[in-house]
Parts: sequence; C-alpha cells; structure tokens
Amino acid sequence: MQDVPELVIWIAKIVLIFGGMIATAAIMSLAERKVSAWMQYRYGPNRVGPFGLLQPLADGVKFIFKEELIPAGANKLLFRLAPALAAMPSMLTIAVIPIGTTAVIGGREIPLGIAQLDIGIMYMLAIGGLGVYGVILGGWASNSKYSMLGGLRAAAQMISYELTLILSILAIVALSGSLDLNEIVASQREIGDWNICTPMGVLAFVLFTIASFAETNRHPFDFAECEPELVGGFHTEYSAMRFALYFIGEYCAMTVMSSLNATLFFGGPSVPFMPDAHWALGVLAFLIKAGFFLFLFIWVRWTLPRLRFDQLMRLGWRVMLPLALFNLLATGAWIAFTGDH
Amino acid sequence: MSAALFYLASLIALCGAAGVILAKSAMGSVISLLASFFALAVIYLLAGFQFMAAAQILVYAGAILVLFLFVIMLLNLGALGTKFELSFAPFQSARAKLACAIAVGLGLIGLIAAQRASLPESVAQASAEPIDSVHNLALALFGRYSLPFQAVSVLLLVTMVAVMVLAKRKRVGKGNEQ
Repeated sequence: MQDVPELVIWIAKIVLIFGGMIATAAIMSLAERKVSAWMQYRYGPNRVGPFGLLQPLADGVKFIFKEELIPAGANKLLFRLAPALAAMPSMLTIAVIPIGTTAVIGGREIPLGIAQLDIGIMYMLAIGGLGVYGVILGGWASNSKYSMLGGLRAAAQMISYELTLILSILAIVALSGSLDLNEIVASQREIGDWNICTPMGVLAFVLFTIASFAETNRHPFDFAECEPELVGGFHTEYSAMRFALYFIGEYCAMTVMSSLNATLFFGGPSVPFMPDAHWALGVLAFLIKAGFFLFLFIWVRWTLPRLRFDQLMRLGWRVMLPLALFNLLATGAWIAFTGDH
Repeated sequence: MSAALFYLASLIALCGAAGVILAKSAMGSVISLLASFFALAVIYLLAGFQFMAAAQILVYAGAILVLFLFVIMLLNLGALGTKFELSFAPFQSARAKLACAIAVGLGLIGLIAAQRASLPESVAQASAEPIDSVHNLALALFGRYSLPFQAVSVLLLVTMVAVMVLAKRKRVGKGNEQ
C-alpha cells in the first residue's frame, strides 16, 4: 500500500466519491417515487426488478433512446449548454466535502475527500452558486413564455435565498474558525462540540435547511417548475437526456446540500459518544446523517403545500435575511465575550 | 504548464472582453463577460490568490451577472436570435473611434509604466505583503487597510440608500405604492 502512486489514490477517490454521488442521484429518483407512494398509501414503481429496484436503469435507457427536440427559434448553443451548466456545479462541489476523517489503509494515511482546500466552503458557495445559470439560460434559450417565466422565478429565488444560505454558513465558519471543511469537521469531534449544540448553531441550521430547499428548487419552493402554473417551468421544452441532466443536477445538488448540512452542523463523520471510532464507522455515520437529510427533502415535498411567489419573497427578505444577519451578529458577540471558537 | 494556462486564460479573458462589446445581443454580451470573469479567476488562482478567485466567481459570476441576466430577461432587450452574432456597427461613428483611440492610448501608457516599474512607492510596498491565505488577507483588510475598507463599505451603503430612494420615488409618483 505504501508504494501505490499518489495519482492512483486520487483517481480511486474521485471514482468512489463521484460515482457514489451519481449512484445516490439514481437511487433518489427511485426513492422519491417509492416514498411518495408509501406516504400516499400506493405501491409505487414495482415492475422492474425486485421491488422495482432497477427502475432507475430502465429510466436511463428510456432517456437515452428518446428523441431530443430543439424548438424552432431557440438559441441552439445556449439550449444545448444549459442542462450541462445546471448539472456541473453540483457535481463539482462534492469535491471538497470530507466524507470521513482520515482512512488508514495498509499503514498509509488517506484523507477522505477529493480535495483539501483552505477555502473549501468558499469554493463550494462560489461553484454552487453557478447552478442558477443552467436554469436561467435554459429558460431563456427555449424561446417559450413558460420557460422564460420559470427561469425568471428561479433567478429571483436563488439570489434571494443564497444570501441567507451564505450568512448562515458564515456563522458556522466563525464558530469553527476556518473556511476549510476538514477543519470544521475537526472542531466537532465529540457530540457536545457539534455546531448544532450551540444556540446560534440551531438558528443557523434552521435557516440553512430552509435556504437549501430554496436553492435546490425543491418543494415547497419549486416555483421554477411549478407544474400547475408553468407547465414544467424552465424545462418545459427539454426532452430526453437533456431533461434527465436537469434532474441529475437537482438530485446531485440535494446530495451536496445534505452532505453539507451533516458536515456543518452534525460533525460530518463524527460518531456520537465515540470520538476515537474507526474511520469506517465515521464514513457510515456521515452517510447516515446525509441520508437523513436526503429523506427530509422527499418527506417535506410530500407533506407541505407550495408557497405563493410573494410569500416566498417575503419569507426570504423579511424573515430569513434579518434572522441570518442577527445570527451572525450574535455569533460575533458570543465569540467576543466567551473567547470560545 | 502554468505558463500555458496563464496564456490560455488571458486569451479567453481578452476574447470575452471583446465579445462584451461586439456581441449583437445583450445576452451574448453577458455570456462573454461570464467567460471573461472565469478566465480572470483562473489567473488569480495561478497567482496563488485562492480567496480572490473564489470571491471573483461568487460575487461577479454568481451574483452580479445573474442580476444582469435578470434585468435583460425582464426588459426583453432585442429579439432572441437562434445564434450569437458579432456586430461592428457601434464602432462606425467618429465619437466611438475617438473613444477607442483614447482607450488604447491610455492602455499603452499603462503598459509602458508597468514595464518601467515606476509605480508609486505605497503600491509597490502593498503588493510586497503576502495576502495569499485567508488569514493574511483578513489581517491586511481589517488591520492596515481597515480605513479604506470601511470607506468602501460606507460608499456601498450610500449607493444602496440612493437606489432605494430613486426607486421608491418613481413608485409613489405612479400612485400604486403598496
């Protein structure tokens, strides 16, 4: 194990983590239908494979063989580019999330995360914020009123909630004293150190979770697609694999947001009451925490009704933003008075 | 490797900047500007300023350009073309030519000044301090340069209030204030 080149380990990590995320996206597309069926007392997809487990594969094959339509009058370059722009940022941001602490395999220490960046969370916000381009440009390039309205709504919504998202994360950055996600994890080794165990952490967690629903365009904030009003919103004109790319992007964004939620507030790979647990147990703990938040996305979707657009804007600017600002101020005061990072 | 990347990024930044002026549709200009911003972020990264690169993408590409897009879509500037086209029409007038000549001349002066390294003393000193890590950047921003930093914040606040006042007055005039 000692003489394996660094490059091989890097590639292995990228394949495992990136592949894991894509697999999660596929599983989520099934889980969404299964859980909704379960909540509505239906069966859900159960024809393909045992319990319908192979449904994502069947969907994938179907998407590949469907005809791809480009509407007349659409801007061809942007129309082709937009789905990729929507899916890419969320796929890139998984790189900085530490899925475990440090693995020791054959006497060699391997940090469990694709990249160890000093500015991890900044990178995440910067790249993650670009996801809005796929939605806006897709809506604009389709040359259709429904798509355009969906794109506009997405732009307004994502800008509004990104502020809250960033401010709530800033409070955690101040508490942990670093922008590096590995450092943020290291500062929450025991369950008492988890950021959720501080009063500011609780408020930041609530704000972050709500904002993450808005950022990923999920219920109850899915105005960008909003079927009863906008047909399908920004992806009305999309078909086949390009349509699928939007969905893969959405599920990847949900995976990243859930992982980030687990990392920032629940210690990431920290195992409760076992600070010196084996690293594999840590990875398991991380997966369970992130999995819970993925379930929460579906749970909320099939529980809460959709807001009105003006309610969304009012909530974003008049409730969430002032609360996030207050939280940041309170965190600053806490650190100044207790001297506790 | 990094030299090749630098030249590639510079080329993209320059082409993007040219595209902003030459694109026929407003949307084409925004896309060009986006490419230019990304290329600039790459140059910051090559120079070792990770934070600057991330801030560049977060603030300019992620927020400001999205707002531009938003406004362009709301105003629906120009017809939607199926392809992006370049247009040299804005450079036909005499005034535009004069402005170009002045801009190129100023650029040349800047280039010669940079070549001779005849920068003012304080600027040369400032660039000597390492601000590559977030920690050092914070020390510089909130320590040595805290006054200019505060002044810029106040300037931004003034701009924000001014915009609010201007926007509000129009709405009251129309008589449909909420």
